[in-house]
Amino acid sequence: MTSFNRWCAVALLVLLVAAVPIGVRAIPAHDERVSAADLLARIRASGDHPYSGYVESRGALELPVADRFTDIGALLGEQTRMRVWWAADHRWRVDKLLVSGETDLVQRGTLTTEWSYEQNEARRSADPDIRLPRTADLLPPALADRLLQDVDESELTRLDARRVAGRDALGLRLRPAAPQSSIDHVDLWADRETGIPLRVEVYGDPAAGPALTSAFRDFSAADPDPATVDFSPPAGAEVSYDNVLDIADAANQYAPVVPPDTLAGLAKSPSADRAVGVYGSGVTRILALPMRGREAGPLREQLLTTVGVRTARAGSLLSVGPLGVLLTGAGDDGGWLVVGTVTQETLLAAARDLATGVRPVPDAHIRHSLTRLRVDR
Amino acid sequence: MILVELRKMVRSRRTWTTILLIDALPTLVAVLLAITDLGPRPGQGPAFLSAVLTDGTLFPLAALAIVLPLFLPIAVAITAGEAIAGESQAGTLRYMLIRPVGRTRLLVAKLVSVMSFVVLTVLVVAATAYVVGTLLLGKGDVTTGSTSISGTSLSTQELLLRTLLALAYAMLCMLGVAAIALFLSTVSESPLGAALGTLAVLIASTILLTLDAANALQPWLPTRYWLAFVDLFRDPILWRDVVRGVLLQLVYVVVFLAAGWANFTTKDITD
Repeated sequence: MTSFNRWCAVALLVLLVAAVPIGVRAIPAHDERVSAADLLARIRASGDHPYSGYVESRGALELPVADRFTDIGALLGEQTRMRVWWAADHRWRVDKLLVSGETDLVQRGTLTTEWSYEQNEARRSADPDIRLPRTADLLPPALADRLLQDVDESELTRLDARRVAGRDALGLRLRPAAPQSSIDHVDLWADRETGIPLRVEVYGDPAAGPALTSAFRDFSAADPDPATVDFSPPAGAEVSYDNVLDIADAANQYAPVVPPDTLAGLAKSPSADRAVGVYGSGVTRILALPMRGREAGPLREQLLTTVGVRTARAGSLLSVGPLGVLLTGAGDDGGWLVVGTVTQETLLAAARDLATGVRPVPDAHIRHSLTRLRVDR
Repeated sequence: MILVELRKMVRSRRTWTTILLIDALPTLVAVLLAITDLGPRPGQGPAFLSAVLTDGTLFPLAALAIVLPLFLPIAVAITAGEAIAGESQAGTLRYMLIRPVGRTRLLVAKLVSVMSFVVLTVLVVAATAYVVGTLLLGKGDVTTGSTSISGTSLSTQELLLRTLLALAYAMLCMLGVAAIALFLSTVSESPLGAALGTLAVLIASTILLTLDAANALQPWLPTRYWLAFVDLFRDPILWRDVVRGVLLQLVYVVVFLAAGWANFTTKDITD
């Protein structure tokens, strides 16, 4: 064999090796003639269908948040690798995979257990009414469920099908009509067989690429093994019970104020009946969180050093992709943190409504909070 | 031919000095952990290092996580880089090939010798780490076994099986490095050049892995799945990256050995 022939054989080998994955990816997706409204109905009907798989999400939102906001900065600004086994709404397990360990969330009824391998601890908590986003909220079905809430059919169009996690997935585009929204559009692809959303892309500025993408890389629509979904803390692990899950839950339980019923024309969610207000629905949402001076001060300081921050009369204002952040007040004062997928004008209007519409908490809530405080101690 | 190369490798003082140096780092880490009882903070430091404070039987894995990213590949690159280029530089390659020895056979013998070095090193590191881990660090709970990353219990047999799989996986990753170095060793006449060339490939791969713009390239980078052995200790085992890692390393081994063979069998030997 001559030198030329030998090198030809090597080149052929390289081509063959490269062609296999490219060929697999080139398998075309089978589309289906189904309207956007019917696809939406199919996605909604898949809500109680079990599934499991491996998910990767990638956020492009660099939030200037501190440790007090759990790992929300990493969830919305970095890549997150997850494994999920979803048997039902109140029976699931989501593992956040880390290079040197994992942090798992296991839901059983209203009880959530968070297992951290590196800290060798299991923290239990009751699922509160209001909390910050966590890994399980980034799963394509959970994300799609939230984004498609109260959506109008006129906001929807069909997209071409594509292959996601080796399955045929039918595409749907949501372009919100609400003038307050900072989201340009949301693209999602749902499993052709079950209707379970397999990939979600959220766009603020379409030219800048997706602000958040979450997609299955491996997917199964089979019922997960019950033994896998179950969790018992291992011997030697520290087990604790948290009465307060995060800063949003704490403020909601203990802050002695109630925000107004509407902010910037968006109605308050009925489930948010205490100190933290959740407004709007679907892709157009605002969260209004009361903060004490010792929490608001450092956050304000951090916001003011962030590139692109705007100081208005209402407070410090920042847009991170499609996410708007406004912290009212100045210096070391307490204030309202208003965050949402809305325009800056909407945030300023929300601040005006907060300035005039906040009420002191009714007595019943104070009694409840004090009872909780006594229990905690 | 293979036996000659193996004997040469085992009798070489340099082989054992290299293994000793590689072994020294995890041993030092174990001693420091035992004295200070201070594990790395969550999310920082090599995998399993926080867990060994309570379960020393996991220390072979922590040792693997310590040496796999840098120490082991350097040793493999130097050893494999020297295989052909070293003989060439010493002026012995010409004489070796005068004997009735096929060039392909010589290449295979060199590869087997390098691989044996990798197996020997990984086993020595794991065995030392096991002894040091069980003597100096936590003993774990004999009745409940070890804890998987997902918080479930692993019996001693399960832990042993998964540890052996992890060691085999690490050896395969190093075989990929050896294949690249062996190819460069047939190209360069300087063993240092071949070793540094291999390290340049590995460093470039590590840098590209941190770059979002290189997303499309990342599944093909040689170091992409090196630390996937950690997934063998999740419950259930996450095979996704391990399988991809095995296939990728096999691709590197086959392609670079073929390139090494194509280059070496028709190369003019002047030294």
